[in-house]
This record gives sequence, C-alpha cells and structure tokens, in this order.
Amino acid sequence: MHAEAAMANEHHHHVNTDATDVFGFWLYIMTDCILFACLFATFIVLNTTGMGAPTLKGHLNLHDILIESLFLLASNFTFCLAVLNLNKKNLLRLQGWLFVSFLLGASFVYMEVTEFFHLAKEGFRWDLNGQVSSFFTLVGTHGFHVSIGLLWILLMIVQMPILKMNDVAKRRMTYLGLFWNFLDIVWIFVFTIVYLTGAI
Amino acid sequence: MAHHEHESQPDFGTGQKKLSVYTFGFIGCIVLTVFAFWVVLEGHFTKAQAFSLIYTAAIIQFIIQLVCFLRLNAQTEQGRTNILTFVFTGVILVTIILGSLWIMWNLNYFMMN
Repeated sequence: MHAEAAMANEHHHHVNTDATDVFGFWLYIMTDCILFACLFATFIVLNTTGMGAPTLKGHLNLHDILIESLFLLASNFTFCLAVLNLNKKNLLRLQGWLFVSFLLGASFVYMEVTEFFHLAKEGFRWDLNGQVSSFFTLVGTHGFHVSIGLLWILLMIVQMPILKMNDVAKRRMTYLGLFWNFLDIVWIFVFTIVYLTGAI
Repeated sequence: MAHHEHESQPDFGTGQKKLSVYTFGFIGCIVLTVFAFWVVLEGHFTKAQAFSLIYTAAIIQFIIQLVCFLRLNAQTEQGRTNILTFVFTGVILVTIILGSLWIMWNLNYFMMN
C-alpha cells in the first residue's frame, strides 16, 4: 500500500509497478498449478491400484457433475462481464454481475458438498483407503480454492464503491479474474480425469 | 493492440477485454463440456473411443480457455514473459505426473515379474 501511494503521482510508473504485481500473482497461479499437478499425480497413481475397494463408478451421478461444471463455466463468463463493466465505469452493473458470479460459484460449491455427503453416506468414505483419500483431497482442494474465490468476490463487491473503480480496483479485479479462470481450467481436468474417466 | 487505449485500460499482458471473444469462448466451452459428458452417458462408444474423445475435448477446451479467457498472447513483452513461465510450469507439470506414473509402473512391473 505504501509503495502504491508513493507511485500514485507518476501514472506511468504506477502502471509499470502494477504490471510487475500482476506478474507476481501470475507466478503464484503457476505454483498453484504445480500443487494441483502433485494431487493429480497422486490420484492417478492410487486410482489404478485399488484392490477390492469400492469404486467411484457405482456412486456417481454424472448429470449432477455436468450441471456443476456448467455453473462454474457460467460464473467465469459473468465475471468477465463484470470486468467489462468495470472498464465502462458502470458500478451497479459491475456489482450485479459480480453477485451473479458469486451465486453461480456458490451453487457449484453447494452441489459439490452435497455430493461429498452423499458419497460418504453410501460408503465411499475418505478414510477407507488411499484411493478414496486422493479423490477427496484433489476435488476438495479445488472446492476449497473456489470457496476462497467466493469470499474474494464478496470482498470486491464491497470494495468497489470505496475504491471508486480506480487503478487499484482494476489491478485487484485482474488478480481475481486470473484466479477464477485458473480454477475453471483446473476443473476441466478434474471432470475429465476424475469423473468421466472414472465412469467409463 | 490499440496503443492509445493502454493509458485508460492497463492490460498487464492479459490482452484487451472484448465481449465477442468471451462469448465465443463461453459457447465453445459449453459445447465441449456437454459433448464430453454426452459421450460417456450415451455409452455407445468403446472404451478406447470414449477415452480419446473426452481427452480431445478437454485439450481443445483447455486451449479455448487459455486464448479466450486468460488471453495468453505474444503481442506484448509482458505477454511473452507470461507464456515463458507458463511453458516452464508445463515442463515441471509433465515431469511430476509422467514421472510418477513411470516410477509406479516400473515398481509394479518388477514386483509382479
């Protein structure tokens, strides 16, 4: 915050430091990719060696997973609409689209948690063996990231009128946009590798 | 890249925001997601066919997301640096995942034979 105040006088400098900050956040996203890569590797390794353990196939409801995926996709799109309205300086629409993104993301998390409870009730419990644990760790870590993103969206809705949609607000929206989009990309691989491959 | 817009809309190497690009990406992703689920739910395909179809759909969707939403591009210096780090992450990612599978496959092979 201090660095920002010092640089605020010189707009040119300000844009440059902002670009460096966004690059730093991009690097964080890249390290998060490596976290997910480890979890995916664990899941794939453990998933093929289960002996006599319950498989995911019998407990899956693919229709629910499809609806979940569409919720997350739509949430990503409405967030982009929010960013477009930030550039047009339209506060009400910006907050509106952010709120729609929040609702869609919250529906995703709600469906995922419901599914987890449903799986646990049917005997696909996380403490059974390594295979089930790796499933819950991978999908759960993604869900946890989405929950943090939801909290962040709420914070942005509150911050927007206070920051008056200035450059700081734009930079923070860029962070959140990268984060939200990244989670959507990870989800493509979760539903393909975990759910669809598990159901074939 | 419209350079006169750069003052009012800093793009941080993430490209200019355009509704048309987002809409195209959104529709493309929906079609590919529904297609992948349809392949599995339909059940008419053999295992090998279903595998190749869903993984092809996933890779195309991944590329659409990168281009349309993350707006990876090589038009600015920042954009090129982003791509460079992205490729580096890809190398590590492939090493971790393929390396783990390779080691486990080897262990399995030598224990069973």
